[in-house]
Amino acid sequence: MAKREVPEINAGSMADIAFLLLIFFLVTTTMDKDQAFLRLIPKKVENPPPPPEVFERNICEIRANSNNQLLFRGKMLSNPDDISEGIIEFYRFNQKGNDLSSNFPMYTWAEGPQIETELGKVEAEIERMESTPDQSQEILDYQYLALADWQNKYNAFKLYGKDKLPEVDLAAHVRIEVQKKTSYELFTKIHTEVQEAIRTLRNEEAKKLWNTSYDIISKKVDSDPKDMISKDQLELLKILYNIRIIEVTPKI
Amino acid sequence: MSKFRKKDDNKKAPGVNTSSLPDIVFMLLFFFMVATTSKEVDPTVVVNSPNGAYTTDLTPFKQRSEVDFLYLGKPLNKARAEAMGGAYALSLDNVVVPNADGLYTTNAVKQWKLDKFNNKPSSMKQNIEVVITCIKADEKAPTGMIFDIRKELQDIDAVSVAYAVKDRGNI
Repeated sequence: MAKREVPEINAGSMADIAFLLLIFFLVTTTMDKDQAFLRLIPKKVENPPPPPEVFERNICEIRANSNNQLLFRGKMLSNPDDISEGIIEFYRFNQKGNDLSSNFPMYTWAEGPQIETELGKVEAEIERMESTPDQSQEILDYQYLALADWQNKYNAFKLYGKDKLPEVDLAAHVRIEVQKKTSYELFTKIHTEVQEAIRTLRNEEAKKLWNTSYDIISKKVDSDPKDMISKDQLELLKILYNIRIIEVTPKI
Repeated sequence: MSKFRKKDDNKKAPGVNTSSLPDIVFMLLFFFMVATTSKEVDPTVVVNSPNGAYTTDLTPFKQRSEVDFLYLGKPLNKARAEAMGGAYALSLDNVVVPNADGLYTTNAVKQWKLDKFNNKPSSMKQNIEVVITCIKADEKAPTGMIFDIRKELQDIDAVSVAYAVKDRGNI
């Protein structure tokens, strides 16, 4: 019997089938990212101490009522887009020099030698504590935190390259007060505006200092945790524009 | 120069072998199948997220499975929504003792979060303070409920909270 050759199967259309599958998956899967405002809420405290008294000038108060009307530092706002400008003004007003009659938070200017002395003080304190026995760990931890804080500040100061490092009053904060019936839409709108203010302030500073932007720096830090230059830059921006947010739990 | 002389001038160019093309395409296919995520659960409430901008993207530095999502909106089931008189309810996933209708009040959040946290394999376990809870709420949802959820989470020290929005991009 003559040897018959087995005919080859034409696999040319195999690619078409695979493409079809590929396109099906491309179309049906969603690539939407999870976008959100990340916030840390305060930890639970048993018997919280009475809140300290804060000067009105240190509070950047944004209130929204159950009819979704806005009050920014006591003034009615018809357009919520104006909030970010208000916050920027709040943090910028006294940055070049304190105007005591203004209703904005005061600044202090830390100088190099001053930071070095403070750093030395904390280091000496830790050394003294470590040599004394029976030291409570809690106090020691607290001192370590203080040391890290001052070291951060010292690094930031050196990176800033000027003889004075402006710092806003520690009590200055953005306070978001809503009512129970305020819509989530307005609530997130306020957060958008706060975030925009933070971004604008830090972006402009980053542009001035290194001709880059805050977004790029924070992205670099996110993608490469070992990038010390970007980390220090981010730390400096955070010290220069230290924007605290307090969200008040609504009572009515 | 006889080496370079064309042997046969009327011979056609050989056809390109395309038998490995399917392999390439399959590789692409598998890449997309692995890299994309699909929704894990269908929420039992209607959520129409509000717009926001300048947000944090939760995906790049956190695996999606490491973030706990909870949904706040009106029930998807129309009859149920009417029976509840337009009240807002929560949709939670993987509840240990689930409700029949899959709708929950804010009181269930604490137990849900704790169960999720305890059921994680120990290799994936992180400190509860850094495990993000992402609240996906409807744009008309009352903020009071958001704060109720926050209070539940605060009680168990799950202090990383994220408010989800639809990002408008960089405007």
